[in-house]
Amino acid sequence: MLDAARQLFEDVGYEEATLRDIARRAGVSVGSIFTSFLSKSHVLSEVMQERLADLYADLDRLIPHLRGSTADRCRSMFAVHYAFEFRRLRLFLAYIGAAFEWSAEPTLPMMGANPRLRGMVLDCLAGGVARGDVRPDVDLDLVADLIIGAYAWNYRRGVADAADAGALTALLDRQIGVIFDGLAPDRA
Amino acid sequence: MNQLTLGGLSAAAPAGRSNQRALAKQRTREKIVAAATVLFSERGYEGATIRDIAKSAGMSTGAVFASFTDKSDLFAEIAETVQAELHRVLRAAQEGREGHGAIVAMLDAAAEHQLGELALFQAVMSALWTPGLAERLRRRLDRRPVLALIAASVREEFACAEGVTRADVSLVSEMIWDVSILRRAALDGLTLEAVKVRIGDQVGTILAGARRG
Repeated sequence: MLDAARQLFEDVGYEEATLRDIARRAGVSVGSIFTSFLSKSHVLSEVMQERLADLYADLDRLIPHLRGSTADRCRSMFAVHYAFEFRRLRLFLAYIGAAFEWSAEPTLPMMGANPRLRGMVLDCLAGGVARGDVRPDVDLDLVADLIIGAYAWNYRRGVADAADAGALTALLDRQIGVIFDGLAPDRA
Repeated sequence: MNQLTLGGLSAAAPAGRSNQRALAKQRTREKIVAAATVLFSERGYEGATIRDIAKSAGMSTGAVFASFTDKSDLFAEIAETVQAELHRVLRAAQEGREGHGAIVAMLDAAAEHQLGELALFQAVMSALWTPGLAERLRRRLDRRPVLALIAASVREEFACAEGVTRADVSLVSEMIWDVSILRRAALDGLTLEAVKVRIGDQVGTILAGARRG
């Protein structure tokens, strides 16, 4: 069902796809869709979770090989994210749009909250503290939120300005530069 | 001043048939917008149909289509109002303040304003990410006036800071504004006061970096 849903969301768009269409493509009854999922946004949430597993498998392999400043390591992680999500941009934009839906079921995992990404950024920042290019008194949680927010917001240029993954990576590189300039230890 | 008053009176004086018709048309639009604002808030863009909106406004779908070309046109008009109000709230908060203080005051006011109409704001934000609808909306929603207010305060802040900044004012202004848009994930379980503190701390982090850059 998730495969059918993912293909359908990509082909006709999330807004246009109905649970009935998903059932038809998956070759199951509408009733069985409803026993597995609460709603269409629940299906989308599951599709994204499954997709992200591939991304994080890639990143788990990559991260131990990252070198350089904490800012640069952080930039590399997000460059991989942009490259990955731009392969299925339409699906990802639908997911961000759904993250703002106030009517979404409260029982669902929070859309737009990505614990894996958050953990990865927090690890990177903690590494910076250990390495000495991030001040130890920095509120890492707050900074992680700031960076992830900037990363996510930049996608709207993918909609508005038809920006590609490279353009968004370049923009986030500059934003990360501003943020990390404020995290550096005081120059003695 | 007298001339202005007289001009206004003379324009309103001949309450002819065409004028009454224009007034009735305006009232119809207002009724539709009021009903649609409630339904879009409750059900989001996709969930609210023109049929429901017409029913709620007490008119036919034909009457709705006589005032608006389609649902996206009606939604865009509401989104424009949302944005104009936000701009007004920001400008009022900025008045009499400078630099960092003005920025924090603007974002506090924006957070308060958004939380007051959260459902409608979330419906607009959701629509801004929906391919197809987003392009149409963005053609009508101009972010520049809001960004210009922030940029003015950012420039002010750097002019009075000791260090010389190389960071691009527009980059920093956009980063600051993005922080102020309330995402559900960032809001989870926080009170208004906690949201304000968090936004204030994040703005502080951005400005500290921009000052050192």
